[in-house]
Order: sequence, then C-alpha cells, then structure tokens
Amino acid sequence: MTATPNRPSAAPAPAPALAPALDRAGAEAFLFREARLLDEGRWDDWLDLFAPEGMYWVPLARGQNDPVDHASLFHEDALMREVRARRLQDAHAWSRQPAARTARIVGNVQVLDPAGDAGRGADLVVGSTFHLLEWHRGRQRMLGGFYTHHLRLGPDGPRILLKRVDLIDCDGAHDILEGFL
Amino acid sequence: MDGYDARTIGDLVRPDGVHRSVYTDPRIFELEMDRIFGRAWIYVGHESQVPDPGDYHQALIGRQPVLLVRAADGRTHVLFNRCPHKGAKLVAAPCGNAGKLLRCPFHGWSFRFDGSLASVPVRAGYEGTGFDPGHPDFSVRRVPRQASYRGFVFASLAGDGPDLETFLGGIRPSLDNFCDRAPEGEVEVAGGVFRVWQHSNWKIFLENLNDTSHPMVTHESAIEAARTGYRSLPEGTAMPFRLHIIEGNGEPYAFWDKLEMVAYDHGHSYMGAIFKPPTDPVSLAHAAALEAARGAERAREILSMQRHNSIIYPSCSPHTSFQQLRVIRPVDVDRTLVEVYTFRLKGAPEETFRRAVVYANVVNSPSSVVMPDDVEVYARCQEGLRSDGGDWVSHHRDAGRDRIEDGRRTANGLSELPMRNQFRAWSQYMIRE
Repeated sequence: MTATPNRPSAAPAPAPALAPALDRAGAEAFLFREARLLDEGRWDDWLDLFAPEGMYWVPLARGQNDPVDHASLFHEDALMREVRARRLQDAHAWSRQPAARTARIVGNVQVLDPAGDAGRGADLVVGSTFHLLEWHRGRQRMLGGFYTHHLRLGPDGPRILLKRVDLIDCDGAHDILEGFL
Repeated sequence: MDGYDARTIGDLVRPDGVHRSVYTDPRIFELEMDRIFGRAWIYVGHESQVPDPGDYHQALIGRQPVLLVRAADGRTHVLFNRCPHKGAKLVAAPCGNAGKLLRCPFHGWSFRFDGSLASVPVRAGYEGTGFDPGHPDFSVRRVPRQASYRGFVFASLAGDGPDLETFLGGIRPSLDNFCDRAPEGEVEVAGGVFRVWQHSNWKIFLENLNDTSHPMVTHESAIEAARTGYRSLPEGTAMPFRLHIIEGNGEPYAFWDKLEMVAYDHGHSYMGAIFKPPTDPVSLAHAAALEAARGAERAREILSMQRHNSIIYPSCSPHTSFQQLRVIRPVDVDRTLVEVYTFRLKGAPEETFRRAVVYANVVNSPSSVVMPDDVEVYARCQEGLRSDGGDWVSHHRDAGRDRIEDGRRTANGLSELPMRNQFRAWSQYMIRE
C-alpha cells in the first residue's frame, strides 16, 4: 500500500528540529510532542510520525516477543492505524459520543543501545515510562506502562519504525481500548 | 426468592419479548446464578490448557471459583478453588503448575489433584478428634458433575440433569466441526487469551452473538473506516483479510436474511451460511492439508459446514471458521467478563493459526476497532433499561414464523428466533425451584 492514504490533511506535520544524532533531550522532545498529538486527538499528525513500514504494537503478554503466533492488543501497520484513526473521527462511532479525554505523562526517558536490539534498522531506541489518565462516559481510569520507540533518523526528523507499548496490566481484563496508547 | 415465584418469573417472558427486569434486577441475577449457572453445563476450559500433571486453569461457574487440574494419571478434575481447612483459595494465578500436590498457602494442608487430602502438618494434633482424612469434608470439593467433549471441559453444579451430550443436542456438531477442521482432528488453545469487561448484563452479549440486524448499524464507523482504508490501496488490490473481517459487517440486510437461523432446546443456536469455496491461499492450504489427512470428500463435507457464532447457552460461543471461542462469565447484574480464546488446528499449516490470531486481534480484542461500538450499545441498553421509559424489550421480528421440527427451530437470518429461544430456556431453568 501507499504510505500516505487519502486523508484530509495530507500536508506532513512539521518535524521538530533535532540534531542528526539524537541525544536524550532530543528524544524527550520527540516523545513529548508525540504525547501532545495523541492527547489533542491529532491522529493524522500522529500517523505521520511513523515510517511507512513502521509498526504500532501493544503486546498482550508480558515480555512477548512474537506478534505473529500470539495475540496482541494492537499490532498495526500503516493501513490498520489509518483505519483506526478514521474510525476515531467518524461521527457514527457510538462509543465516542463524547470521545474519551486523555492526559499522559511520559518520563524516565532513556536512550538505549540500538545495537542490542536485533536489527530493525533503528538508529535509536528510546525507552520511557508513561501514565495515561483517561476520562470517558463518566468513568476515569489510569493506564500505564512502558514505551519503547525504535526510531530512524532522517533529514526531516525521526520516524517511528516500531512503537511498542507494554501495558502494566497487558494480560489483565480490559475495558475497551479504542484510542492509540 | 424474595419477590419472585414461578408465576411472577413466568410473567417476565412473553413469546415476543421480555420484561426489562431480567437485565436489571439483582435478585433475578442471583436466581440466575443458582438456577441457570447452578444447573446447566458450563464451559470450564480446554484440556490443552492443562497438558501436564499439576497444571491448573482457573474458571468461574456462575459465582463459584473453580480449577481445572491435571492429575498424575492424566485425568482432569474440576475442583472448587477452596481449602477445606479455613477456606483460603488454593491458587491465585489464572493458570500455572502446582507441582506434585495442591498445597494451601495458609497452613500447608496438601491435596492430590483429584481433591483428596494427602497430608496435614503435625497430624498428632488431630488424633481423637472428629477429623477424618477420608471424609469428604476434609478434601477439596469436586464439582458434582464434569464431562469433556473432544477436549472441551464442562461442569455442572447440579448432581442430576441431562448428560453433556444430551444437553448439547443439536449444537454439538458445532464443537465437532471446530475439531474436524484440524487435519489431526484435535485443537489446542494457543496464542493467549483476551479478557474484556462489558458494563452490561450477560444476556445482552449472548443475544447479540446471533443478532444479524445490528452489524450494519452498530459497526457503521468501523465499516466506513475499513472501506476508506481499502480505497487507499492501489487499484485492483484484493481486500486484505484484516479489512475484510471488519468490512463484512456492512453487508446489506438481504445478505443477512438469507442466512439460516437454527435453534435448539436448552437455549442453543447458530447462524448458518452458504458455503462458498475459498480462493485465498491460506484457506486453500488448509483445505489441502485436510484433504491429505481425511480425503477430498470428507474434507469438503467438513469445510462446507458453515456455522457462525454458535451459542452454547449460557456459557460459550465457538466460531468454527476462525477458531475462536468466547466464554461468558457473568460477574454482576450489570457486569460481564468475556474471555476470548484462539485455537490451533493440529496438523494445519501455521498460516491458518496466524490468520486466527489476526482475526482475534482485529475482531475480538478489547482494542478491536469493531468491538467498542458493541460494548457501547450494550452499556446503553443496560442504562436505558434501568429507566422507567418502558417495561418491555421487543423480540417481535419474525415472531410466530419459526419452523419447528423434532425440537429444531429454524428461521430466516434476520429473525429474532435466537433471543426468543434463549428466553424459552431461561424460563425453564428459572421457574423450576
């Protein structure tokens, strides 16, 4: 498939100015901006942070290393991320009347050694911890866990090759998880 | 029970509808736990989840926490998860291996996997007391009845009643077909389990499993999103499986009405479909493996049996084409836990299982793009049914037109036969004291 499906705001989001070799502060700036895009529901801008072959993966099991022979909460390529983003914005998404509000905090940002991370072609692997507060239909819940971003650095800033989200309660019973974490 | 007797319970169910209190009254819920979940055969787990001696898998039968365990002699047992000494639950993890014995973490009483007492520390203290290691009061209690059908383990909290095969009746071939699709004739649980909370009564979900007039409305947002995604692909691309299983909800009413709805005693039912020979490589490879094992004729017979969302009332729903089993665990009058298991067809190409995993992720996970709108409308029913805006829920669609033959009821695909059939069973369970 093509990298940028026909969504209304086709203009690429401006990438933050970053040094070619991302330091911790640069990585943090990228993650903070990503968190803001998600909390503001700017799904299309968020989709643009991914490399065309990038994956969004939320394992179902702790320490899961296989998304093919084991179920996952999310294991989405560009097409499926696009489908989810489209649905989140559909006026007839009944579960989003009104939409959930979220606020997330990303911390403990660490630049990890990409070499140890079996050749996804990432220039950089960034680990972080997140708390995600969500309010939806009168109920508030707290989600949280760990983000691992595998990033490729390019002239227009970092692109996500893999965003892995390890929820602290990945293998627990869940209320609906319809938004991107 | 307070406020309800056979007559007042009977009055809650009409041939073409039910009173809202069956979904909202906590007293009804308690009665259901005693009279439906306390009597019917309830799905506990699959034998493949406890392959080795000492393996256990926790489950709920109504209110009752139980364990499916594998004993050293290879037999499985369903035990109450309760120590006979002080009442502590013997295990806490959803599944695991208990070692050589089930040992209570409180005072160290140990039990064999058939529940019998193996040892207590400092036995001398019990000499000359009423303590009798051979008496059932000092063993972990087994459920009154347990039976397995092709690896699917069910239990009943009632000492008497129909045996499992009689109970399953006409829905039993759904479990056969589930297994027959495996070239080796066996399936195993694999790839993890989803557990999804619903803020609604358990019956709302069970009814929805054979509700063909909701998909195009409830799932409009997901259908549209899948269609938009498909249009973004290069011209002439076949619709990928992961989109197809979302978009398929958007079939017109005429499509759904052509399916055959089939219902049986005890509340069971399924949606039948017309078999279209598959053309995709995953299905073809599966069919080839099945043919090699069972012969072309038998393979075709197995694959052409199309039963979508069979309902084994009141506890589970197998989906044979994509190897899914959804298990319904009522927790409270307005709270239901649904467990989603994916199965591997033994002897089938690995791509068959991988496709089942994709199906589970896309359709049955709590993070599915399809399910949020289901769970939303269930919750809205639960909220709306609490209001005084009306007393009855309608089951009128094609009411009075069911064809009944030898206890088998059939109707057109849009018929609300399955709901009426579920409440027919519900009344039978609930009226009997």
